Amino acid sequence: MGKTDRITERQLKVLIFVSLLSPMIRILPASAVLFAGRAAWLSTALALPAGAALVAFTRWARKNAPEDMGLADMAVAGLGPVLGRIFDVLCALWLTFYGGFIARSAAERLLATVYPNGNTPIFIIVMLAVALFTASGLTKTLSRTAEILMPILAAVIAVALLSALPDVSAAHLLPVTYRDIKDIAYGALPIFDVMAAFAYFLFLSGHVRRPKSQRPNRFPWLIMLAAVAFGVTFFTLGTLGEKLAVSMENAFFMVIRNIKVLGVVERVEAVVVTIWIVTDFIFLAAVLMIVAEIWKTVTGVKKRAVFVLPSAALSGAAAFLIAGNAFAFQRWSDFIIPAINILFAVILIPAALTVGKLRRRY
Amino acid sequence: MKKAFCAFLALAIALALTGCSGLTIFSNYRHLENIELVRTVTADMEGEGVNVSVYGTAGEQSEARMYERSGPSIGVAMGKLILMPLGREAILSHTEAMLIGEDLAKKSIRECLDYVERFSEMRLDTGVLVVRDGTARDLLAGLSGSDTPASDTIAGLGRNIAKVGEGYFFTAREIASSMADNGCALIQCVRGVKEEKLFEARGDLNLEPAGFAVLKDGAVCEYLTDEETLGAMLLLGKYKSRNMDLALPGAAVTVSVDLAKTDMEPVFDRDGRLTELRVRLSLRANVINVAGEADITDEAVRRQCERELTEIMTGAVRAAVRRSQELKIDYLDLEGVVRRSSPLKLEDMPGAWEDIFPGLPVTVEGSGVLARTYDIADPPEKSGKEDKNPWEKLTESLKGN
Repeated sequence: MGKTDRITERQLKVLIFVSLLSPMIRILPASAVLFAGRAAWLSTALALPAGAALVAFTRWARKNAPEDMGLADMAVAGLGPVLGRIFDVLCALWLTFYGGFIARSAAERLLATVYPNGNTPIFIIVMLAVALFTASGLTKTLSRTAEILMPILAAVIAVALLSALPDVSAAHLLPVTYRDIKDIAYGALPIFDVMAAFAYFLFLSGHVRRPKSQRPNRFPWLIMLAAVAFGVTFFTLGTLGEKLAVSMENAFFMVIRNIKVLGVVERVEAVVVTIWIVTDFIFLAAVLMIVAEIWKTVTGVKKRAVFVLPSAALSGAAAFLIAGNAFAFQRWSDFIIPAINILFAVILIPAALTVGKLRRRY
Repeated sequence: MKKAFCAFLALAIALALTGCSGLTIFSNYRHLENIELVRTVTADMEGEGVNVSVYGTAGEQSEARMYERSGPSIGVAMGKLILMPLGREAILSHTEAMLIGEDLAKKSIRECLDYVERFSEMRLDTGVLVVRDGTARDLLAGLSGSDTPASDTIAGLGRNIAKVGEGYFFTAREIASSMADNGCALIQCVRGVKEEKLFEARGDLNLEPAGFAVLKDGAVCEYLTDEETLGAMLLLGKYKSRNMDLALPGAAVTVSVDLAKTDMEPVFDRDGRLTELRVRLSLRANVINVAGEADITDEAVRRQCERELTEIMTGAVRAAVRRSQELKIDYLDLEGVVRRSSPLKLEDMPGAWEDIFPGLPVTVEGSGVLARTYDIADPPEKSGKEDKNPWEKLTESLKGN
């Protein structure tokens, strides 16, 4: 790893938080409510320990790895040069496709919320072009951008959610009994699914300056992400009710469309959509950067930036081809993408780390 | 060369940022002088299609205007209305109310709700009302006067209707949510009343609340009486206050009922059957004025007032529940009340709620308190007693003790 492109552990965590905000807001509350009904607002309480366990496991697995070794290098070291590279290529292909999904998802949302008669291609192309330039740059530039944006994003989300409080009805949230625990656990799955996507950022861990002493396991980014998940589910469900919330593709946005901040400012949805797009852009740029990082390990080429343009082009193709219309795209968003995400982030990546650990390769 | 090309490109992009040409990237930018800010939308049946009208202004200083269009569906009619006939583009983002004509409401209001939900400019917190005894379009036109914009009249009623205890403006969100959860909902009705014009600048009609209507399967199926509407407001927690006359022998006491709290308790037997729903109403009222011979400082008179008050309000609740059971439509969401109170018992209860609900005994009890009479406790012209100065009153009181 180049010594100039180093970030702190905190910067990586901020980058993960900002990136995962976008899918978290996209899937909630509908995905959780679908399983847990009106008790979905409690699902985050079960998703958080599961997410923390996964983070703690990956942290333990990487504990003795050299500082400049990212997940792609660890896979090669742990699984062997052939199997490790196959694993890396699979991850790169999936993340290239996932990048396309993120771009298309952002475009579809813009059409559904602000530009009803617009076309997705222009939004996809602009997003990919902007992300392309950012991903071609340094990891620390992207992390710093996320670091600057984080307080703004957190403040806007907090103000938007708190402004929705007067519309929240207890009748939409209660009752919840012990019989709902199974449903609450099922509802935690989609939230955990998004949290688990932090695993992709392990490919950038080779850029992280390791602290001199090992710190205890603390995951403030995960707790903040869980707080957002809880807030979005609680306020949307409390405002719209179970069945209406499930029937809407962007239920959270429908709630935002109604709010008045302190009874003075109305129609703040443009601000919320803008920050939502910013998180999409950060996530997309990070994914393209990760893909380029993987190809760099696989091919041995020293300059990461050369892989960004082809990756962006392939992601663009995926964005156009993924689904013919918004209905088909919704199916991808609800079922196929989360399933593949679980496969990679919860099964394959931890498995690769475990094998390397058992073989004492790091 | 590369730098020069980049600078040229940046300048070219800057041209598109001005919003002054077809090149603009702000595809949905609209000049302020070209827009009509819509505050009220109406929808009526017209043949097999829909007639829609919008009412709004071009700005703060501009006089309000009304435009209408018809089409086979609300979407087509609104599409024409927004873009074609105005010379301006209608902006629906500040729409406060949607008035639906009785004929269309009896057919279905789903299309109207669907439009509010899907169209990105509209908000779910738009108040949705049904217009009785006429079309929504005619009501809006009749309300409009040069000094009394129809939208102000509707918004004013929306703000204050619950404070006079005559109804509640349900929003599209509340109606859609209730329809999704319970399959039914209540909706506020209004009507236009022709009255003598007290000043020339007002419209030909006056706006009056006309109770709640019951929505079942998306269409209005029944109207509630004023008493049933009051009872429904009390049970749904939408009640704020209401002035009412309490008849006493030889006098009438007008009170403002400013607090009405409802507690509901389901009663199950040993076999887990729901045997009764107990409703307890706690009321607080204040004296507004007294007509005739009544000494409101007299404990016995106050107790009589409280009994009368309780009777009226519990009667309203009983009427609302009775009508709901007769119609077999749980628009008061009593199932939700039982579910929140005893969720496990409801789940385990033998029989379906739909079968049990129409015959479920509902007991309504109440207690009213007359809290204050404001500054005048015992005016001599009402009680017939002679006025005494405070010192005399104090001395008498001390002697009495």
